[in-house]
Amino acid sequence: MPRTARRGEGAWGWLFVSPMVLVLGLFLVLPILMALWVSLLHWDGQSNPFSSRAHFVGLDNYRSLLTEDGLDRTLFATSLRNNAYYVLLTVPLQTLLALVLALVVNQRMLRGRSALRTAFFFPSVTSSIAVSTVFLFLFQGSGAVNTLLAWAGVKGPNWYADPRGVLSLLLGALGLVDPDHPVGVLANHSILGLSWYQWLSGPSVAMCTIILLSVWTTSGTFMLIFLAALQDIPRELEESAAIEGAGRFQMLRYVTLPALRPVLFLVLTLGLISTWQVFDQVYVMSRGAPGNTTLTPAYLSYSSAFGDSDFGQGAAIAFVLLALILGLTALQRLALRERTPRTRRNR
Amino acid sequence: MTTRTAAAALVTCTALLTATGCSSSFGNDPKTTQDSGGQQHLTVLIATSGDAETDAVKEATAAYAKESGNTVTVQVAKDMNQQLAQAFAGHKPPDVFYVNSDQFANYAKAGSLYAYGDRIPDANAFSAQLRASFTHDGKLVCLPKDTSTLALAVNTRLWKKAGLTDRDYPTTWAQLATVARKLTGGKVTGLVTSNEYQRLGVFMKQAGGWVTDPGQKRMTADSAANAKGLAFVQSMLKSGVMKYAQQVDAGWAGEAFGKGRAAMTIEGNWLTGAMKLDYPGVDYKVVELPAGPAGKATLAFSNCWGVATGSAHRAAAVDLVKYLSTDKQQLAFADAFGVMPSRTGALAEFARRDPGAKAWADGTRYAQGPVTIAGFDKVLGQFNTDLQSLRTTDPKTILAALQRNGGQALTKGD
Amino acid sequence: MTVKDATVRAPGRPVLGRFPLPARVVGWTLVAGLGLLYVLPFVLQLVTGFKTDPDAAAHPLSPVPVTPTTAAYQRLFGLSRAADGVPFLHWLGNSAFVAVVVTAGRVLFDSMAGYALARLRFPGRSLLFGFVLGVMAVPGVALLIPKFLVLNTFGLFDTYTGMILPLMVDAAGVFIMKQFFESVPREVEEAARVDGAGVFRVFWSVVLPMARPALITLTILSFQGSWNEFTHFLVATQSSQYETLTTGLARFVSGGLGSGTQYPLKLAAALLSTVPVAVLFFCFQRYFVQGANAGAVKE
Repeated sequence: MPRTARRGEGAWGWLFVSPMVLVLGLFLVLPILMALWVSLLHWDGQSNPFSSRAHFVGLDNYRSLLTEDGLDRTLFATSLRNNAYYVLLTVPLQTLLALVLALVVNQRMLRGRSALRTAFFFPSVTSSIAVSTVFLFLFQGSGAVNTLLAWAGVKGPNWYADPRGVLSLLLGALGLVDPDHPVGVLANHSILGLSWYQWLSGPSVAMCTIILLSVWTTSGTFMLIFLAALQDIPRELEESAAIEGAGRFQMLRYVTLPALRPVLFLVLTLGLISTWQVFDQVYVMSRGAPGNTTLTPAYLSYSSAFGDSDFGQGAAIAFVLLALILGLTALQRLALRERTPRTRRNR
Repeated sequence: MTTRTAAAALVTCTALLTATGCSSSFGNDPKTTQDSGGQQHLTVLIATSGDAETDAVKEATAAYAKESGNTVTVQVAKDMNQQLAQAFAGHKPPDVFYVNSDQFANYAKAGSLYAYGDRIPDANAFSAQLRASFTHDGKLVCLPKDTSTLALAVNTRLWKKAGLTDRDYPTTWAQLATVARKLTGGKVTGLVTSNEYQRLGVFMKQAGGWVTDPGQKRMTADSAANAKGLAFVQSMLKSGVMKYAQQVDAGWAGEAFGKGRAAMTIEGNWLTGAMKLDYPGVDYKVVELPAGPAGKATLAFSNCWGVATGSAHRAAAVDLVKYLSTDKQQLAFADAFGVMPSRTGALAEFARRDPGAKAWADGTRYAQGPVTIAGFDKVLGQFNTDLQSLRTTDPKTILAALQRNGGQALTKGD
Repeated sequence: MTVKDATVRAPGRPVLGRFPLPARVVGWTLVAGLGLLYVLPFVLQLVTGFKTDPDAAAHPLSPVPVTPTTAAYQRLFGLSRAADGVPFLHWLGNSAFVAVVVTAGRVLFDSMAGYALARLRFPGRSLLFGFVLGVMAVPGVALLIPKFLVLNTFGLFDTYTGMILPLMVDAAGVFIMKQFFESVPREVEEAARVDGAGVFRVFWSVVLPMARPALITLTILSFQGSWNEFTHFLVATQSSQYETLTTGLARFVSGGLGSGTQYPLKLAAALLSTVPVAVLFFCFQRYFVQGANAGAVKE
C-alpha cells in the first residue's frame, strides 16, 4: 500500500463526498436542529418560528407529555402502551416465524424451495401502503378472514372496530376479571394518567391486525438473514455431529441454534428498533382508532403537528421517540461490538 | 466515537446554517402581495361527499370563470384538515376552500383566514346562528356555505313490518325506546348511530345540557343534565336496541341504514344524497328528533367558504364566493347533492320544494351549533373515543374527563 | 434438483437422512399451508380487482368473480369517468419520475461518497464515516416534522425539488458502496494511476465498471426504496398535483365517510402500484437478497 498521498487527493476526496455532506447535512442534521428549537416553542405553523416573535415556552411541551396530568400526557402514555405491546408481540413472533421459514427453505430435500423462498420474501419488497390496503380488505368485519373463521365455526371479531384488549378478553373468558367493570387495585392506581388496568389490558383486537401485518411482511427479510447464517454453518460440524449419532432435534438444539446466536441477536435488535417506528400502517389502516388503541408515538407526533397545528408538541413527541430509538441502537451496536468482533469481517 | 460524530455533526451544521443564511419563506407578515392582473387564476379546495358534489362545484366555478374571465381549478382533498394545515404552514394555501366548523376557530385564531364579512353587503340574509358560528373577534370571517341538521330517519318497510304506523313516530325519549325495542330483532337493530358527540350530543342538549356555556367561555360538561342525556343513551345501548355503526360492521350509520341493518338512524341531510346513490331501492321517512326532558333539540353543522389570508387573489376569491353563495346557486347545490341553503330565504324555498327534507329544515330553528374553540379538536376527539365505551362506563366519568380536558384547553388557548 | 444431482454433488446432500414418510406428508402439508398464507392475500387482491363492489363485499373469499368486470381497471386508466379523485395515471407518472431521478442520483452520489470513504485519503475521512454510521441510526419517522420545517424554510415545500433532493443520497447506500470498494483489490487502480489517469478518471473508467454487481444492487434498492417511499412525500407535498402512488393511494384508502367500499378499485390500484417492483423482484431476486443481507449489517 503506497503511503505517498497523491497531490490534490484531499480536495478530490471532499469533492466526492460533498453531495453526500450537503444532502445529509441540509435534510437530516439541519432539520433535527430546527425541530429541536421548534419543540421548545408554542408554534401553530403560521408565523416564522425562527424570528424573535416566536413564542418560546421552554420545556413546556415536554412537561405536558411527561409530568403534567392532562390530555396530552394521557394520549402519549396511550401511544407508548400501544407501541410497547406492538413491540412485545411483533418482535418474538416475526423472529420465530423467520427462523422457521429459514429452516424450511434450508431443507435441501424439499422440492420447490426456491419458489417458497420467493413467496416468503415477496411481501417485504412491496409497498407498505399497498399491503395495508390488502389487509384492510381481508380483515373487514364481513371480510375474508372472518369468512374463513366462520368455516372453522369461530365468529370473528369486528377487527377494526374492536378496542378491547386481548389480554383482558382472555382473562375475562377465564372468568378472572370482568372486562366491563374493572375493580380493585388495577382500576384505582394509575401511571402517567392511565390506570393499571388500561396498561395491562393488552393490545386491542384492532392492533392485532397491524401486528399480524408486520409479522407477515417483515418475516421474509429476516428469513434471508437467518438463511445466510444457516448456509455459513460449517458442514464438518454437522457431519461430525451426525457421526456422533445426533438426532434431528439434537442437531437443531446443539449445532444449528448455537451457530445462529449472533444472527439471532442481530435480528431481535433490528426488530426492536424498527417496531418502534410503526407509522404507515397506522396511517392507512386505523389512524389511531378504535378508542386510540392503535395510536403510536410516531402517528401521534404527526397528527399533533399536522392535524391539531401544534407543531411544538409534535416535535417534542418526535424527540422523545428519537431518543428512545437512538438509545436502543446504541445499546445494540455496543453489544454487537463486544459479543461478536468477527461479524464485521464476515460480511 | 459518539462524541466525535456529534462534534462533526455540529460543525457541519453550523457551517450549513451560516452558508444558507435565513433564506426563509415564512412570510414575516400576513400581507401577501396581491395579484392585480386582468386574468387571475384561482384554486378551490373542497372535501367532497361524492361525484355529485364535485361535479356541481366544478360546474358552478366554470360558469363563474366564463363570466369573470378568471380561471378556476377545483381540487378535491381526501384529508382536508391535514392538507389545509400543511398548506397554511407551507404558505401555499388554496385561494378558496371549505372550512369545517370544527377547525374554524383554529384557522381564524392563527390568522389564516381572510375576514371578508364586511365586504358582503347582504350578509344579513344568512342565518344568524350560522353567522355567529363563523364570527371571530367580533368579525364575520367567512360566509356559511350551507347548513345541515340532524333528524331521525326511519326505514318504512321495517317500520311496517314491526307493526308500527304513521302515528307511532316517537316524540319523547320513552317512545323512542319503545319503538326501538319493537324494531330490534334478527339482524336489525332499532337505532344505529355513530359514537360521536356530533350525534349523541343531541341527547345532552335535549336533556338541557351542552359541552360549554352559550358564550363558549366556560365548560359545562359535568352538569347533571348532560349525565342524564348520556345515561339515556347508555340504557338504550345496554338493552341492545341501539348500537354504534361499527358494531354492525358499517363505516357510518347511513351505510347500516341503507343495508337494512338499522331501522332508524340519526343523520343529517347528506343522507338523502347517499341513499339516492348507494341504496336507491330503500324507502325511508325523515322525522324530527324526539324531545327530551328539556324539550326539542338537534345539532347544526356547517362549512364556510374560506378565503386564505395568504392568497394573492383575495378580491377575485371573494368575488367567486359571492357568486357561489347566491340564492340561485345555493338551491342548485341543494338539488345536486342535498345540502341545505344557508340563506334563510333560500332555505324556505328549499323546504317548499322538498317536503321529504322538512324535518331537517325545521330543525334549523332550534339547533345547537358545534363547539368552535381553538385547540378543541383533540379534546372532542378524546370525548368521542370515550363515548365508544359508553355502554360500560359511567357517563359521569366520561363527562368529568371532558370537563377537565376542555378546561385545560381553554386555559392553554388564552 | 433431481435425486441424481443430490447424490453426485456432495455439498448438496443433507447430512441426515430423509424424514420418515408420515412426517414428510405432515411436513409438506404444513409447508404448503405456510406458502398459501403468503400467496393467498395477493391472489385475493388480484381476483377482487375484477369483481363488482357488491360481489366483493358479499364474497370476499371467493376465488371467482360472479360477474367479472374490468370496471376498476378502466377507471384507473382513465377509460371511464374518474371524477372522485383517483387520477391513477398521474400518480403513476409522479412515482416513476421521482423514482428514476432519485435512483440515478443515489447511484452516482452514493458510489462517489463510498469510493472517497474507502479509497481517497483526505482530512476528516474517519469523522465523516462516523457521521454516516450515525445518520443510519436516525429513524425516518422521527424526521417528519423536521423535514417539513426545513423544506418550508427553503421554499421547497410542495415542489418536485423538495420531493427529490432530500432523497438523493442515503447513508445506507454509501455504506454498501464503501464496503464494496474496500473489497476490490487496489492493484488495478494503481496500474491505471501509473498510466497517468487522474482521480476522477480512475473512478469513472476503472473502478465503476468493476463495481457492476454492487451498482445493480444499489440501483434496485434505490428504485424500490423511492417507489415505496411514503412518509417523506406525505410531509413534503400537499397538492394533489404532486401525489404519488403511495400518498395518493394512502389518502384515498384511509379517507373517511362513504369510502368504506370501492374495494375492487382500491385493490386494483394497490396491485398495479406494486407491479414495477414485483417485476424487478422476479427478474433480479438475488440482488434483493444481497440487499436484505447488506441492510442487516448496519454495524
